[in-house]
Amino acid sequence: MPLRRRGRTIVALGATLAILGTIGWFWQESLLPDSYSVTEMGYHDYGGGPHHAGTSLDVSVDALAPPADAEAEVEVTLTAEQKTFELASGRSVDGYTLNGSSPGPMIRAEQGQLVEVRLVNASVRDRVTLHWHGVDVPGGMDGVAGVTQDAVAVGEEFVYRFYAHQTGTFWYHSHQVSHVQVAGGLFGALVISPAVEPRPVEVDETALVHLYEGQRSVNGHDGDLTVDAAPGDRVRARVVNTDAGPISVWVDGAPFRLTAIDAVDVNEPEEVEDLAVTVTAGGRADLEFTVPTDGAAVRVELSGSLALVFGDAPSEPRRQPTEELDPLHYGAPAALEFDPDAADREFEFNIGRRLGFLDGRPGRWWTVNGGLFPDVPMFMVAMGDVVVMRLTNDSGEVHPMHLHGHHAVVLSRDDVAATGSPWWIDSLDVGVGEVYEIAFLANNPGIWMDHCHNLPHADEGLNAHVMYEGVTTPFRVGGPPTNDPE
Amino acid sequence: MPMTWEDETVRVAYRVLAYIIAIEVAIQAAVMVFAIAGLGIWVQEGGVFDKAVMESEEPPFPEVVGFMIHGINGMMIIPAIALLLLIASFFAKVRRGIVFALVIAALVVIQIYLGLFGHEAAVFGMLHGINALALFTVALWAGLRAKKPAGEPAVREHAPA
Repeated sequence: MPLRRRGRTIVALGATLAILGTIGWFWQESLLPDSYSVTEMGYHDYGGGPHHAGTSLDVSVDALAPPADAEAEVEVTLTAEQKTFELASGRSVDGYTLNGSSPGPMIRAEQGQLVEVRLVNASVRDRVTLHWHGVDVPGGMDGVAGVTQDAVAVGEEFVYRFYAHQTGTFWYHSHQVSHVQVAGGLFGALVISPAVEPRPVEVDETALVHLYEGQRSVNGHDGDLTVDAAPGDRVRARVVNTDAGPISVWVDGAPFRLTAIDAVDVNEPEEVEDLAVTVTAGGRADLEFTVPTDGAAVRVELSGSLALVFGDAPSEPRRQPTEELDPLHYGAPAALEFDPDAADREFEFNIGRRLGFLDGRPGRWWTVNGGLFPDVPMFMVAMGDVVVMRLTNDSGEVHPMHLHGHHAVVLSRDDVAATGSPWWIDSLDVGVGEVYEIAFLANNPGIWMDHCHNLPHADEGLNAHVMYEGVTTPFRVGGPPTNDPE
Repeated sequence: MPMTWEDETVRVAYRVLAYIIAIEVAIQAAVMVFAIAGLGIWVQEGGVFDKAVMESEEPPFPEVVGFMIHGINGMMIIPAIALLLLIASFFAKVRRGIVFALVIAALVVIQIYLGLFGHEAAVFGMLHGINALALFTVALWAGLRAKKPAGEPAVREHAPA
């Protein structure tokens, strides 16, 4: 029956074509152009607000900077290198340094000072930038390759200038191929102190927690780091999580207060004991306590693998407390500078995950509001708007969500309203199935990344932007400067 | 109607693809236990496993490669083979070959989702383990039963009236 045979073959070919054609179409659709502007990516989401709020802003993002003639009060040059280097512990690591070391130098400033950092790329082949994590810098100083500047090539430099308006614990890191460069050590700490310290301490220590080649370290030390502290000393430990997942931090040997989260002071933090503090990826926590007068050391446990030890008495690690400090109900309430109930725009930021192609690569990729990158929202705001954002996570993994250029206040989690101190964040741990409602005031014009600070996730498409009406960018992702912010 | 060499080739391809899926399921089980055993040893030796370590690009212990293989195999390679099997089934003269290939494809999809849901509720991980056995069995069965060509009814049709 040749006819029947031929018919069967045609049906088989048709079915094959239908399957392969569908896959091919999805593959083709996912391919990104060689270069693109993030402002043309995806779709605009106005959050129920006007498409044209009529603000008078009309500015290119690179013009958003302090006046050029203002004199810097803190001047630092950071030279980036790509090389094999030794950590403080002597371990050899293949990665990146700033001024010859990783972590890079600690930058200190006093509130109100103009900080000027000259970034020189000595040998980072994939180019480099610096982002000031948690500092609400002017739009042009945000250090995001392809959005606020071109990545700095070998032999070139870029000057960052910003006023240190805020106080607290910050860090800086590369935002060019960041999922590789940050993991490889291209980061450092920035601490901004108030002119008059409201709670003076005798010991002020910053702990940059980082996994170099999979092994945890604090300030480049592989084991416990002992810090000089005498009995009775007041201590502030500033913990910075530079990794891609949350860590748990707890204090052994003294009651403590969580005095700041993401560089914003907690209002009236009460003394607590036997509670673990979760520090999300990119997030910071300031812990304050007094070294006991009986001479025992205090251990600030960093995820149980190592500790900052205050005092030289011998000490033993203790297991992680079973209970966690919940910032939603910690400290005392205080008035906000804006009214979240009178929001001008309300955005939905749902994180999901599904099978598909990302720039031609098949896989199970993150989605934002159901769409795979670049089919993601551009959250459009206007200067002065009060913005409410609902973050939901149906993706099966935790995501440390980081909004550039702003601090947002947590209004509720899983519809339970915040009752403690205003909980301000720039990096928020959004757990599986959790619903967070946050609010911020759009008071810093620019084009701001709003992404997952598990940096490989950002590279896998979990990033969107908040864009101000009237702000444009001349920079493009990709292209000759090979801008690759994630 | 006698089987041509083309028919024979497609049928063999069908069988081989079905067997490969069964072997792949066995590999999936093996690498998972390999990784978990490595994790256990590492923790015994003082290693601390947390989310940050889990997300680190650098493996804290060598057996972690098992988790990676499991992910790549399960998310990419096995679905691709299941798809090839389905396509082969359209051409292969294997009785109910398409049905078996469709069942295998469906079990693969279910397996992926059970794996994903396991990140939210561990009970799905348990079902993921059971479904793996179902997939292994059906794939093996599909391969075995495709041993002989589905030529019998065709012979009857050709018999003289």
